[in-house]
Amino acid sequence: MSHLLTMTLSDLRQRIRDKSVLLFAFVVPLALMGVFNLIFGTSQDLDLQPVTVAVSTPADDPLASVVPDVLDGLDETDGGVAVTVLELPSDEVSEAVDDGRAALGIEVPAGFGAAVSEGEDVAVTVSEGESSVETAIALSVVDGALARLHAQSVTVGAAAAAGVPPDELEAVAAEVASGGPAFTVVPGEAATQQLSPAAALVAGQTGLFLLFTVSFGVLGLIEERQNGTLARLRSMPMASWLIVAAKALVSFVLGIVATTVLLTVGGAMFDVDFGSPVPVGVIVVSVVLAATSVMFLVVRVARTAEQASVAASIVALVLGIGGGAFTPISASGALGTLLDLNPIAAFMRGLGITSGGGGLTDITVPVMIMLGFAVVMVVLSRVIPDRGVVS
Amino acid sequence: MSQPAAVRSAPDVLVVDGVVRRFGDLTAVDGVSFHIAPGETYGLLGPNGAGKTTTISIIAGLLAADAGEVTVAGERMGPQAVAPKRHIGLVPQDLAIYPELSARENLAFFGRLQGMRGSALSDRVAEVLELLGLSDRAKGPTKEFSGGMKRRLNIGIGLLHHPRLLILDEPTVGVDPQSRNAILESVEALSVEGMAVLYTTHYMEEAERLCDRIGIIDSGTLQAEGTRDDLLRLTAEADTVRLSGSAIGPEVSAALRALPHVERVDAGPHELTLLVHDAPARVAEVVTTASAAGMALTGVEISRPDLESVFLHLTGRALRD
Ligand SMILES: Nc1ncnc2c1ncn2[C@@H]1O[C@H](COP(=O)(O)OP(=O)(O)OP(=O)(O)O)[C@@H](O)[C@H]1O
Ligand SMILES: [Mg+2]
Repeated sequence: MSHLLTMTLSDLRQRIRDKSVLLFAFVVPLALMGVFNLIFGTSQDLDLQPVTVAVSTPADDPLASVVPDVLDGLDETDGGVAVTVLELPSDEVSEAVDDGRAALGIEVPAGFGAAVSEGEDVAVTVSEGESSVETAIALSVVDGALARLHAQSVTVGAAAAAGVPPDELEAVAAEVASGGPAFTVVPGEAATQQLSPAAALVAGQTGLFLLFTVSFGVLGLIEERQNGTLARLRSMPMASWLIVAAKALVSFVLGIVATTVLLTVGGAMFDVDFGSPVPVGVIVVSVVLAATSVMFLVVRVARTAEQASVAASIVALVLGIGGGAFTPISASGALGTLLDLNPIAAFMRGLGITSGGGGLTDITVPVMIMLGFAVVMVVLSRVIPDRGVVS
Repeated sequence: MSQPAAVRSAPDVLVVDGVVRRFGDLTAVDGVSFHIAPGETYGLLGPNGAGKTTTISIIAGLLAADAGEVTVAGERMGPQAVAPKRHIGLVPQDLAIYPELSARENLAFFGRLQGMRGSALSDRVAEVLELLGLSDRAKGPTKEFSGGMKRRLNIGIGLLHHPRLLILDEPTVGVDPQSRNAILESVEALSVEGMAVLYTTHYMEEAERLCDRIGIIDSGTLQAEGTRDDLLRLTAEADTVRLSGSAIGPEVSAALRALPHVERVDAGPHELTLLVHDAPARVAEVVTTASAAGMALTGVEISRPDLESVFLHLTGRALRD
């Protein structure tokens, strides 16, 4: 135990002197958040103008009503656009755009609901007058809702093929039609479980740079080899696994400190509250364990120090971006499941739940994903033969 | 003869028994056995790739042996062993220090891993810094040290905890003559303290100066072992003759080998090294034979038997590369 502590403390002291870990753990992510903060700030000062959208929907098509619904909901979100929806018969929509009564026209064709339920492609006609930031926002929201509807319809189609009774299908379809936020990843989750864009940015940058930060601890093993000190450590009167354990502990400590600081400072910068400390703490510990574990796999697979640090960066970027560090990413089917298993995505989902007031029991799924990921990585790094960096 | 009984019967600090280590098809260490008593300095003398570092790595418990056994202070050594590692101090061939830490921090860190604490540790660290001549540079990061200073610190870490066996792997390679002398002197002082020392080198002068006994290692095998005088007797008093020059073709070596008093001939690009019995009387014959066979001679040198001639006698090759 005292060996472990001696090695961990000495390593932390060197990390701090070396400064590059401080750069990656605190300076760069906070600077990035600051830059994004500026951008966000100006776009809010932009003062979005109200906009009128002409919409035609076929009668008796509940699915089609999703379009006016999401547009109506736009001004409810922070920094949203006040949208007036002008419901018109289909032949008057483009007319309304032409004569300036509406800035944007959207025609949902007859048979839309049926086509979507079958999982078929269906074209929604858009006519745009003078394009502006407001119409672009409105369009992107409609686009998102339609894409989601389509994804849902494929699922419904698959469910039908799998023999789900028709009345349950209708329930699913109704759930979709009833609207809800346009970018919900998992159907049925309440809006409060999503992070606000600012909170998502803070959490995303924190998750991304956590991966860089923990890599410093574990990749220290390679440094030990280059310094020649690994041989010396292995001649010391202690169990050799302690050497690796000390590196893991260094990663863990760095990761916990960096994540806590970034969430706190970033949260203050953007005026974001991630929720009560205990569940947030559990999420932080879980994501740091997951991030540390993947670095052990990297060290194992790499042949040289250079390979290891390049691989660590790639892993950090792939997991970070895939997890939604810069912009939310979602997909359906197998890819979607894969994205959901990403510990950074789970981290952000977990924080979404806690920021919406969720407690310990509510975050079980994301926490299990992160811990499961850690276990899989550790097992893999045991199973995979060493390629030479650590021996 | 006059040794007190207690010293004579003191059990060996190190016993190496039939150690074998393979890397794929290569047998780097092939059945090496030797032992070292307390206060004894043992030299492993051999050229590059002889298996010195591999042998030492097995002794220090860094590598597993494929066969054979190493015992340190009566305890079986191996990569998983903990207890016998308390008794060894390893000075690896490559530097093993932390560049971001100061000399004092490096020493204190490894001292703590060796189980030293408190004032015992800090006093000893100060003492070793003094011994290394690094007291006034104890605080700066070692990345700012000269090569010689790093080498000295590298050795200091190995002997900090008063190990019963100090293992030094070519500690003077790439060191200026002054630091080299300081290193040799400190090793001499250690054996006076009763420490057993295992010292590898490919410099025969170092082995001759420091070591009570020397093992000559080549191709993973101990070719011979004994005191310097024991080893010199192996050559049957043949002298070493070095012919320098050019145009050293195979016919030159062949012609020289055919001479009755010439025992061994090793050809380098600009030098021929021969073992010749009764060299002073025979050197004229050697020189005329060499030039008759086509060699363009520029110099001749005769030296009395030394470990170099022993190595040549045993392996047919010169020790120096
Ligand atoms: N890890 C390894 N993998 C493969 N071959 C190795 C390994 N370590 C050593 N060898 C080989 O084993 C042989 C002995 O190497 P070793 O390092 O023990 O020699 P040495 O006597 O210490 O040489 P030097 O004076 O150059 O340090 C060499 O042929 C070397 O190439
Ligand atoms: Mg060596």
